[in-house]
Amino acid sequence: MSEKNNSFMNWLDKRFPVTENLERHLTKHPVPKKVNFFYIFGALLMVIFMVQVITGIWLMMFYTNTEEGAFASVEYIMRDVEYGWLMRYMHSTGASAFFFLMYFHMFRGLLYGSYQKPKELVWLFGCFLLFLLMAEGFLGYVLPWGQMSYWAANVILSLFGAIPVIGPDLQVWIQGDYVLSGATLSRFFALHVVVVPLLMIALVVFHIFALHEVGAGNPEGVDIEKHRDEKGMPLDGAPFHPYKTFSALPAIGIFFVIFFAIVFFAPEGGGYFLEKPNFEEADFLKTPEHIAPVWYYAPFYSILRAITFGILFLGITSKFLGFIIFAASIAILFVVPWLDRSKVQSIRYKGIYSKIGMILFAASFITLGYLGTKPVNELRTLIAQICTLLYFLPLILMPIYTKYEKTLEVPERL
Amino acid sequence: MIRGLALLLLFTFCGKLFPAGESECGALESCAEYKADVHDLFSLQRGLGLFMNYCSSCHSLQYLRWNRLQKDLDIPENILKEDLILNPDIKNSDYMTFGLNNDDSTAWLGASAPDLTLRTRVRGESWVYTYLKSFYEDASRPLGSNNLVLQGSSMPHVLASLQGNQQLSMDGSIVKVSEGSLTDEQFDRSMKDLVNFLAYAAEPIRSDREKNGIFVILFFVIFTAVMWLLNREYSKDIK
Repeated sequence: MSEKNNSFMNWLDKRFPVTENLERHLTKHPVPKKVNFFYIFGALLMVIFMVQVITGIWLMMFYTNTEEGAFASVEYIMRDVEYGWLMRYMHSTGASAFFFLMYFHMFRGLLYGSYQKPKELVWLFGCFLLFLLMAEGFLGYVLPWGQMSYWAANVILSLFGAIPVIGPDLQVWIQGDYVLSGATLSRFFALHVVVVPLLMIALVVFHIFALHEVGAGNPEGVDIEKHRDEKGMPLDGAPFHPYKTFSALPAIGIFFVIFFAIVFFAPEGGGYFLEKPNFEEADFLKTPEHIAPVWYYAPFYSILRAITFGILFLGITSKFLGFIIFAASIAILFVVPWLDRSKVQSIRYKGIYSKIGMILFAASFITLGYLGTKPVNELRTLIAQICTLLYFLPLILMPIYTKYEKTLEVPERL
Repeated sequence: MIRGLALLLLFTFCGKLFPAGESECGALESCAEYKADVHDLFSLQRGLGLFMNYCSSCHSLQYLRWNRLQKDLDIPENILKEDLILNPDIKNSDYMTFGLNNDDSTAWLGASAPDLTLRTRVRGESWVYTYLKSFYEDASRPLGSNNLVLQGSSMPHVLASLQGNQQLSMDGSIVKVSEGSLTDEQFDRSMKDLVNFLAYAAEPIRSDREKNGIFVILFFVIFTAVMWLLNREYSKDIK
């Protein structure tokens, strides 16, 4: 770095490794030159995380975390706080954007094998982040204290109550009350604004440190470290800064065009980002006709509802079995690095079974998402059951088909 | 043959996937589409007039302040004080809470009259618009009126003097049996004014939001263009 001669930087570097870390993570960190569209979502996730933190801090300044005051304080933010409406819409749209980007980011990982040796930990930290994001979204959704906040939270909390033996006590312990109440609201507020975001920041740091240790992947699954120039920079790589930082900026611009188009012109997202019943204050005497989760939980909610049968002789009710399968649908993602036995990373060079598996997995995830936002009927439950099976099968069978299927030869260079 | 069967199967499946019973508009198959226009100031003012005359004796607007209304709807101070607020004890910065208290409302009408500030966001604008036009005479109801959109609604047909009386025909549709003080077109326009006003009350910033959003988007379009050019220069190094 040119600042080497700078006496201030010298002074600083002797006390704190600024230059070393800048070089390690930015100016000398090699990343593949050629990647595709799918590789932008990580950068966008960082951007949306910052949007959520900043708008969240502003909302926190005006929000009241009590049963009596929560709903009215949100309307106060919408009406009396200068640009409060903008902060609130950015935060609510941001939640949807966060999940949208997260799902694409993870799908990229599945497509191009971004979890394979030695990237297992990168993937694992990412899965923890998905889990935390789901928790964060759930906790945050309760805070406006609307009808859907209340009743959707009731559905989810009652799942804990379905656990045999300890369930009912566990539910009361989590709620802090015999019913979902102001006690629950204020603890969810604390978790939403302090505990979960802190854990997320820590995991984002781990995720990136692990990634920078093993190097970023590419859609070809080529190892760029094999061929280096005389300075040690991979021939197919380029320093992260300025090349990747500047190539991310137009993408961030396009993302914000879409993001603000929603914030300013369709903040309710057609009832999918801000659900209509949530404009009515929580009323524990009045259950809404149809309790629908926000779209980003819909696939998992669908899996939960698809389990209409229990294992009665073991004392497992259908509700508890649903909870187990629902938890398994997220847990199975954590072990994907150990399910894939393929010699190649990218879907481009994998065999036909991997391709079919990936299509089935994605199609069933989207179908489950659609079904999760609709009321149930017999046919929808049947389709949800089939899709649940199709969601798990490609992952469960992965060790078998990836080991035996014919793969293509991966090129040496990118 | 097989193709025919497959088609038949598909249709029966689709029929079940999208059952007809899920109409949001009660006995009606669907609500009459209406998207509120919150940019039409005169319409909002007319809507406010209708609200004050016909709705405000039962329904409140508990999240809307008088002075916000005054500023957004361009209402002169004296008109606000003398014709709208009426009560000298109420300050301009107070919320528009008036109407029946819940106990009286429940005793007299059978249900509490809901606060209307956020109602169009809960029900949707098309729903409210259709609801307002779908009252009919029903002798079996305590107050002699019913509504196709919300069957068994406790709200009486307060707009009958404007709309005229309606009855349910044999085929389940509504027919008009007497004239009100407004023609059908005038009444329709009035209901649109009222829905516009309620949509404004539900989100006072909406008009500004829709007007100014374009500049924010424009900024990011230019930002994207500049960054794209910048990136093009940088990426020449690593070609």
